[in-house]
Amino acid sequence: MPPMLKKSLIYWAILSPLVVVILFPFAVMFVTAVRPRDELFVYPPRWGFSEFRWDNFAEMWVKTNFGEALFNSLYVSVLSTALALVLSIPAAYALSRYRFPGKGAYRTFLLMTQMMSPIVLVLGLFRLMVALGMVNNLNSLVLTYAAFNMAFTIWMLQSYFSTIPRDLEEAAWIDGASHFTSLVRIFLPLAVPAMAVTAIFSFINGWNEFVLALTMIRSSDDFTLPVQIYSQVAGRYQVEWHHVMAGTVLATVPVAIVFSWLQKYLIRGMALGAVK
Amino acid sequence: MTPAKRTTLAASALTLGVMASAAFAETTVDFTVAEYSSKTGPFFEEVAAAFEKENPDIDINIEVVPWDTLLQRLTTDIAGGAAPDISIIGTRWLLDFAEQGIAEPVDDYLTPEFKSTFIDTFMAPSVIDGKIMGLPVAASARAMLVNMDLFEQAGAKPPETWDELYDAAQKISTLPDSYGFGLQGKEIETDAYFYYSLWTHGGDILNADGTSGLAAPEAIEAATLYKKMVDEGLTQPSPTNYSREDLFNLFKQGKVGMVFTFPMLIPQIQEEAPDLNYQVMPFPEKAAKATYGVTDTLMVFADSDAKEEAWKFIEFAYKDEWRTKFDHGEGFLPVTKNVAAEDYYKTDKDIAGFAAGLPYAKFAPTIANWEEIADVTVRALQRVYLGQETPEEALTAAAAEINKIRGK
Amino acid sequence: MKSFNGFKPLAMILPGLLLAMFIIGYPVLDLAHTSLQEVSRFGQLRGFTGLDNFAEVFADPLFWGSLERTAIWTVTVVGGTLIISLPIAIILNDDFYGRGIARVIIMLPWAISLTMTAVVWRWALNGRAGLLNATLMDMGLLAEPIEWLAEAQLAFTVEILIGILVSIPFTTTIFLGGLSSLPQDSYEASMVDGATRWDQFRHITLPLMKPFINIAIVLNVIYVFNSLPIIWVMTEGGPANGTDILVTYLYKLAFRFGQIGKASAISLIMFGVLLLFTIIYVALVMRGEKDSAPGEEE
Repeated sequence: MPPMLKKSLIYWAILSPLVVVILFPFAVMFVTAVRPRDELFVYPPRWGFSEFRWDNFAEMWVKTNFGEALFNSLYVSVLSTALALVLSIPAAYALSRYRFPGKGAYRTFLLMTQMMSPIVLVLGLFRLMVALGMVNNLNSLVLTYAAFNMAFTIWMLQSYFSTIPRDLEEAAWIDGASHFTSLVRIFLPLAVPAMAVTAIFSFINGWNEFVLALTMIRSSDDFTLPVQIYSQVAGRYQVEWHHVMAGTVLATVPVAIVFSWLQKYLIRGMALGAVK
Repeated sequence: MTPAKRTTLAASALTLGVMASAAFAETTVDFTVAEYSSKTGPFFEEVAAAFEKENPDIDINIEVVPWDTLLQRLTTDIAGGAAPDISIIGTRWLLDFAEQGIAEPVDDYLTPEFKSTFIDTFMAPSVIDGKIMGLPVAASARAMLVNMDLFEQAGAKPPETWDELYDAAQKISTLPDSYGFGLQGKEIETDAYFYYSLWTHGGDILNADGTSGLAAPEAIEAATLYKKMVDEGLTQPSPTNYSREDLFNLFKQGKVGMVFTFPMLIPQIQEEAPDLNYQVMPFPEKAAKATYGVTDTLMVFADSDAKEEAWKFIEFAYKDEWRTKFDHGEGFLPVTKNVAAEDYYKTDKDIAGFAAGLPYAKFAPTIANWEEIADVTVRALQRVYLGQETPEEALTAAAAEINKIRGK
Repeated sequence: MKSFNGFKPLAMILPGLLLAMFIIGYPVLDLAHTSLQEVSRFGQLRGFTGLDNFAEVFADPLFWGSLERTAIWTVTVVGGTLIISLPIAIILNDDFYGRGIARVIIMLPWAISLTMTAVVWRWALNGRAGLLNATLMDMGLLAEPIEWLAEAQLAFTVEILIGILVSIPFTTTIFLGGLSSLPQDSYEASMVDGATRWDQFRHITLPLMKPFINIAIVLNVIYVFNSLPIIWVMTEGGPANGTDILVTYLYKLAFRFGQIGKASAISLIMFGVLLLFTIIYVALVMRGEKDSAPGEEE
């Protein structure tokens, strides 16, 4: 057996228990989402069902105002990620390249901002947003997510940036390029994988965040996806599980696509390969 | 942008916004609607749209909030100074809202005719210190649902007393994969499930002097019976894993012989388990007839700056046509006399079965800190069901804790 | 370029710093302020009462129980995640058939919000109607359905396992990032010297991965310590407070029982605990890092 095949089989064998456990809830979700409503509570519960009710998805889309919630989630996730990156990249660059007073304190402060869970801070955050007149405004989420994500994005970016050798930039400086040009022309392209990975983190945090969205956004037109889906379940006398699961399946798809597109940035040696 | 600049910008935007809305001379009424089902939001939007057509200068802004997060949402709103003008709340919270000065008494707004349209039993829980602090907006009484197929198979008869229930449960539990009595042990209303038994055994949540009634012999008797049924396998296993929804799902699957429930289960059965052969019966008796009446209240906020307009909307929303649609759609019992007089409530045998309990309905006591007290009760019951404490130990401890909370 | 660079770096960190200070600092101060007051049921401050709230917290047995469970929760979830994620990351870093698919699958738990994950698992864990029991029984592994969430011990174990499951994607990604930046030369040189793969792991991979492992530990501890959705959705901290951790207890106090003063005090205590942990950890474990991080100027 060729070594690559043997290795692949061994690896898949090791990974398989985890893969099964990971895929199990998705299978449950999918199977519940496509079955007819009166088969939700059959006993004993079974994986099989009589027909693929793709209608469930369409019904759910209309009933739960899914399209709008999807757009809201995209808006918040993309903008908060962009904001976090714009603010973090210079900060991470400064941390990894320069020396300045208060550097240690700054890093500690960043770490401290991560320690407070939004749930704990929700009353105070709400009061802040009321004072700013931004309640029920998606931008309140953009600002808040960016602020909470920043410690992490700066930390991640800085770790990656520190692995990019200075020699390249210094060579450019010697050749007469300005700091700014070398930053843009030489450093940034090498930093793309790092930025891509950091962008994923930030995007997902925004996409899945729940407590703050629930508190800040009042009218159901402006709900983000997690809140919209949760509202189908929470406290109702009768939960339409087939719709709930359909909604969750659809909410997962964009993220899965983003994953498969961006996972290639984690290939070993890509950062170094460019260097060589 | 510095924070200072941002605040200034926000402030100017806010000012412009206020000026703009003043230019249109429109008052906005913020209405927080607790979500019962997927029909709730659309229903109130419909009422709002019809109202706005007749009153173009009033804008009704509806916010639908899931029940599980309603109290959290209202707490945050009030703490942040952004409370709505009117809201649906659980009547069990009304005293807390009233004591804190959040709720606005509505006696002055209520015309005698409007007041007379309400059924007294349902209006009563919203009256605190002689003042009406809100209007009943939804109501249910509880009853027992039995699975007639299981009864036939087991050769048992639907019980009218607790002894008969015990016998029936024994018979049904011998059938394969079937449980005689469904017992709820998880999450909201686990305590209510116990009160059903407590009341019909002659006990009460509070004694006449306001101390907790949980340590009384009737309470211990009721809890002991539940525990006995759990131990003997007459209930579904591990009741602490079954929330209200889980228990009702089990009933819909046809696995449970008897369960205590609310009228809103009937439309669910019709849609999800149309072949289920069920029957509505009153709670079994030992020492008293009883059922649990639950109401939700529509409350006006004392800090609201649109009370006149909000009241106008309330009067509109309580018109018979809207109440009928709401009560039928959600499966509630009517809170207004006109709707209660409809034939539907006499001829539909299911709803009539629930309504039959009204004359002896008991309500949760209107006391402060109800959520905390209910939690103490739930925890005690869970310890009993799990076998961690005897009914006497758990309930006596719970009663002591509750008395402490009540300051007695 | 090793000299002090003037105000440039400060200007680079300033905007981000301001945003964080404003959005996060304000609520924290508000919280500290609230914890020292008597607070009405709906968050209206009634008057300075000093450390009364804190005294009440420390006298509350439910607080201590929750604290203990929080420690167990954090240690087991973070520990379990690390032990599983590192080998997975090493495997995923290597080239094999279907690697892309494997990576996407391992990352999938991250694609759903924690709340929805907990909702789906709760649905699947249902004793009578859940697909987990049905599957295990069909496979012959179970004779009787198990009521997974009925008792605190089993429920807590299940919640911990799910906590590990949802933390794996994040930690694996950090490790993958770290692994992908490891210099190939050391490995090649060591192979020339006759090192086994285990030697390579111990002497090259582990030391170089230390900064990433440390980040993973610190961040995971913080996130897991504060994590509400899984336990809340599955058992709401029950039965009988048996699965309550600090953050679920805090939530009940604040939003169900209206004891906002006490809840604020607990929040500050939680913050204090995490701060203490981080300071100790950074001082002890990460001290060596500053000297060895590549690319940073000295």
